[in-house]
Amino acid sequence: MYNSIESDEVLIARVKKGDCEAFNPLVERYKMPLYKILYRMVRNRDDTEDLVEEAFIKAYRAISRFDIKRSFYAWICRIAVNNAINYIKKERRGQVQSIGVVEYRLTAKKGNPVAMTREKMLKERINVALAKLPDEFRMILVLKVDEEYSYEEISNILKIPKGTVMSRLARARQKLKKLFDELEV
Amino acid sequence: MKCDLPRELLSGYLDEELNEEQLDWVKKHLAQCDACRKELEELKKLDEHLRSAAIEEPSREFVFKVNRQVMEKIRKRSRFSIFRFSPIFVPVAVAVLVLIVLINIPESSKPVDLDHRVLYSESEVRKDIAVKLPEASTARKMPLEKGIAVKKDKSIVEPSAPIVAKSKSYQAAEQEVAGGVYDRIDADEFMRTVSLEQIEIPDDRVVRAIIDTHGVVVRVATGNTIIPERDTMLENRLQGQQLKPAMVSGKKAQIYVDLTRMKETKECTTQQ
Repeated sequence: MYNSIESDEVLIARVKKGDCEAFNPLVERYKMPLYKILYRMVRNRDDTEDLVEEAFIKAYRAISRFDIKRSFYAWICRIAVNNAINYIKKERRGQVQSIGVVEYRLTAKKGNPVAMTREKMLKERINVALAKLPDEFRMILVLKVDEEYSYEEISNILKIPKGTVMSRLARARQKLKKLFDELEV
Repeated sequence: MKCDLPRELLSGYLDEELNEEQLDWVKKHLAQCDACRKELEELKKLDEHLRSAAIEEPSREFVFKVNRQVMEKIRKRSRFSIFRFSPIFVPVAVAVLVLIVLINIPESSKPVDLDHRVLYSESEVRKDIAVKLPEASTARKMPLEKGIAVKKDKSIVEPSAPIVAKSKSYQAAEQEVAGGVYDRIDADEFMRTVSLEQIEIPDDRVVRAIIDTHGVVVRVATGNTIIPERDTMLENRLQGQQLKPAMVSGKKAQIYVDLTRMKETKECTTQQ
């Protein structure tokens, strides 16, 4: 058994030596952070859950190549994000999920809409705007704004020139702002 | 005033990703453009909204079962990790197995080309037969047996002495050298490279060897078949010794040689 206070380095060293059980605490430790990142990108709970699971399996397969001096979280984040990008490109082919589903799920948990505070309404608006945003814009915004990757890092992850990162981010912000403003009551 | 600032630069300014020249331009522009200052503030707020965007809670199934699901797949994969980490494992393992099977097939069960095999129909009981074979280093200098042409002073001549002699002493061997039987081999060289091996031959067996196409003894056995597991010591003694390359029907070939009969046998015969 492994307790939760063992460091990533210790656990990974054991996994590298063939003790696959040492991977379990890492799954426990990073499943929710990965879920949050991936959810922001794909905006679909079921898809996100599948992608988180896939990210852990891929990380385990590649663990022998992981440099133990680096951050495991940053490494698995990169794997998860790349996997999500491929998924969006191949599986969803740019389709945006049903906004109705998003709105229903978000509102249903918050009870009476009348009682919603202004802050909650703002969150509701941004979520709907994000759901309407094309995948390529949402991905790049999540990488920059939520994950705070540099342009250089985003360029490597998305395999696009650095200049394209700058212009796509600008267009993504303009589009999101437009969608957000349109939702103002 | 007309605003000519590219939106990319405003976004890049927000992300602190501009170079010095771009930064100077944006700063100077913002100092005199109210619209761009306002838009910059709106973009900052949008980023804040983005960071605070609600995330749909994961399902209970995910929270409680994802560990188990991931670990089940990992454990299943770990069972076959030897195949995963060694992509050449399977072909190598198959090759080794095939090799083991081939080596262990008794010679008698293999198809035999009679044209390439020297057969001896009679088996004579012999005891304490000395078998002397030249080592590889002197093989070219030594006259060889079996009536096949032997190199001697780079010329081809018929052998004048058999390679096997019964109970020869080193003195006798030296006498042979002195008498010119082994031409151009001085006594020291002869002592160093030639040895007399006492081989106990079972009453009911003959000693046989396989000689490869270069004349090197590759396998030895007592009995009618070549079985690697048996007669290992005998094989170790003789393996690598070099005879004249086997020639059958004018072609180099792997042949069986009856070492117990080498003394008397002056000439190999191929049985059709």
